[in-house]
Amino acid sequence: MYKLRVNGLSAWFQNKQVLFDIHLEFPEKKVIAIIGPSGCGKTTFLRCLNRMHELTPGARVEGKVILDGKDIYSEMDAMEVRRKIGMVFQKPNPFPHMSIYDNVVAGLKLMGIRDRKILDGIVERKLKEVGLWDEVCNDLKRSGAQLSGGQQQRLCIARALATEPEVLLMDEPTSSLDPASSARVEALIRVLKNNTTIVIVTHNIQQAARISDFTAFIYNGKLIEYGETKEIFESPKDPLTEKYITGRFG
Amino acid sequence: MKNISKIIFLENFFKLILKIATLIIIVIFLLMFYSLFERSMPSLMENGFYILFGSSWDPNIKLFGGAPAILGTIISSAIAIAFAFPISLSIAIFYTEYCPLRVRPIISEIMNLLAAIPSVIYGIWGLWTISPIIKLNFQEPIIASIGFIPLFSGPAYGLSIFLASLILTIMITPIIASISMDIFLKTPILLKEAMFALGATKWEVLRHVVIPFARRGILAATILGLGRALGETMAVTMVIGNSYIWPFQSISLFSPATTITSKIASEFPESVIDLMHNSSLMSLALILLLFSISISFITKFIEKGVKYR
Amino acid sequence: MNLRKIKNALIRITSTIVVVLITIPLLWIIFDVFIKGISVIGLEFLISLPAPIGEGGGIANAILGTLIINAMACAIGLPLGIATGIYLSEYSNDSTFSTFIRTIIYTLSGVPSIILGLFAFALIVIRIGHYTAIAAAFALSIIVIPIVAKATEEGMRAVSIEIREGAFALGLPKWIVVTKIILGVAKSSIITSSLLAFARISGETAPLLFTALFSYYWPRGINEPMASLQVLIYNYAMSGFEAWVIRAWGASLLLLLLVLFINILVRRISTR
Repeated sequence: MYKLRVNGLSAWFQNKQVLFDIHLEFPEKKVIAIIGPSGCGKTTFLRCLNRMHELTPGARVEGKVILDGKDIYSEMDAMEVRRKIGMVFQKPNPFPHMSIYDNVVAGLKLMGIRDRKILDGIVERKLKEVGLWDEVCNDLKRSGAQLSGGQQQRLCIARALATEPEVLLMDEPTSSLDPASSARVEALIRVLKNNTTIVIVTHNIQQAARISDFTAFIYNGKLIEYGETKEIFESPKDPLTEKYITGRFG
Repeated sequence: MKNISKIIFLENFFKLILKIATLIIIVIFLLMFYSLFERSMPSLMENGFYILFGSSWDPNIKLFGGAPAILGTIISSAIAIAFAFPISLSIAIFYTEYCPLRVRPIISEIMNLLAAIPSVIYGIWGLWTISPIIKLNFQEPIIASIGFIPLFSGPAYGLSIFLASLILTIMITPIIASISMDIFLKTPILLKEAMFALGATKWEVLRHVVIPFARRGILAATILGLGRALGETMAVTMVIGNSYIWPFQSISLFSPATTITSKIASEFPESVIDLMHNSSLMSLALILLLFSISISFITKFIEKGVKYR
Repeated sequence: MNLRKIKNALIRITSTIVVVLITIPLLWIIFDVFIKGISVIGLEFLISLPAPIGEGGGIANAILGTLIINAMACAIGLPLGIATGIYLSEYSNDSTFSTFIRTIIYTLSGVPSIILGLFAFALIVIRIGHYTAIAAAFALSIIVIPIVAKATEEGMRAVSIEIREGAFALGLPKWIVVTKIILGVAKSSIITSSLLAFARISGETAPLLFTALFSYYWPRGINEPMASLQVLIYNYAMSGFEAWVIRAWGASLLLLLLVLFINILVRRISTR
């Protein structure tokens, strides 16, 4: 059962094409890693999956991304897409003017959900899910910007999860964290896949091997190889893939 | 989740409100020209160029020559700039090169406060505190010694174009100085260090790196200060003496004089019953507006040049 | 010691002297206003109406008038300024139109305030047929608009792309992202500029001379002539009667305290 299918996806910045005709399927409740050297288009690819790419001036997309049978570009509204397909960024980006509490429920509160009881419940559940509850439950009114980097990132994951997305996109979520915080986020990803399909971009090949079920290798905007992580790492079919995962370039 | 059409409606509604606000500002801007022009028309039609070049102003015999006011505006501002420019530059020089780091915030605070004092307070201070002192300790001794030079001839009134220029100098110095301070600080460190490495003194670095680098910005700041001086009303009205004898009957800097703004501020209320009188004052205002617009365009043009460098 | 070093030392000394000299007028004005103004300030001065010369009286109507006129000016100027700032920062795409608006705002900020008073006179006072505080508020609002519009635009532009994307990624519509996230982050710079604009118009006198004029009574309505601290200082200082001049100093002290207080407060907030 595929959650998300990418069909002939190409993307441009101005006149420069950065993705070339990508075909992929993401199975439900699995972790899919996107790997490749920096500048290969893996982040752009991720941003095409929830229509964030189009926010960049001059950016353009062609092809289809089908979520549960509906094309997110032609059959859904961008805001609806982004609620169903959440995103976590490379640098933790909590809203600095909001408390921890308001950060978690920003996506709900700002869309008009004001019932205190519902919100309280979601805050507690989501913060527990990301393992932040014990650390912050006594000062939920504090600004989210005062937390440490690792805590901020988990707060941002809680914020993305609060709208109950079916797919969670993660753009190098541990690259700005210290090793201990990274390990916590990785552990969290393993838990989250019980409910969510996770697509994670990483330049850390070991991380991909550790946490993902499937791996896609992108190079120069083209999908080189895609398959179960085990197979990709043990017996890559394409010589380029082999070169990359054995660390011989990029 | 609210439905999509409602969100789109709110989105467009929000955008519409913003558009309307910007349009209101454009309308205000255009109306300002139109209103002043409309009120000036009767006088412009009647007096023509006399409003620019005429030297007499007598509402009783319908004589409206604006030259003394226009010249008063230009000369008082020019004198103020002549003083404020070197003062501001010295402040900026001290601020960037010679002052200890922890004194810097104090200097910028002084500039901010000087700029924040309302002009009517500069006015009351100039009128009741400075004017008598200047008259007694400055004007009278000078008139006594070199009063034979027409520029410094007596009698000493205290209130004079000289005093107006002095107050204006204090008022525009913080404007020119704070901008110059900012620009000086933006000089690339590498350029300065290269000079220092050659054994240059601080003054040589200022002279050959910092000041050339900031030249256009300082020019823009000075013209901005000039704009402020040209349009300054209350302080000038309160200390210039509002007399039409300067410069055609006496060219002494110690003579009371008038400017466009002080002429309008002191005569406007009584002019309301006389359309031609009122309209003539509006014509002076229109001339001032044209000055101010030109200055905005010049500074904008210069600043653009700064960016591209 | 060689010539170059002497030159350098000379510049150091001169520039130090100039900086010391420029602080003299600042301190002089503050002390002067304080010493002359404090003698007249008392309860009667603060809460009663002006009285004929020699009979005491106060400036309460002028204090109230300044606050009312300022409040009205902000009520007009702040929404227009903030909305324009939002438009320029978030919806303009750097088109010719937004360059045009920026030029207008820049030009407006340089227009002498006396002109704004005359504009309000020609546009409102003449049409209504009498002096009115509404015209004064309109004139002052044109001073508020450029200050706030510029600060709003710059404050919102300074909000990082990461914060913006974080908000969009939650599926929020743009106007919510703009008003609740970007505006929220930029809030402090907008508040700061609003306070500075308030301080600035508190000291503006020329725009009031031909609009609100003056009144010796309590404000009866906003569509009436209205007293203000600024015009009171001007009228009383120019009157030449000692009893009034001393009241002008008292009013100056109040005005100076208000303006300096806001300016120092703002700098405390923004440097933190």
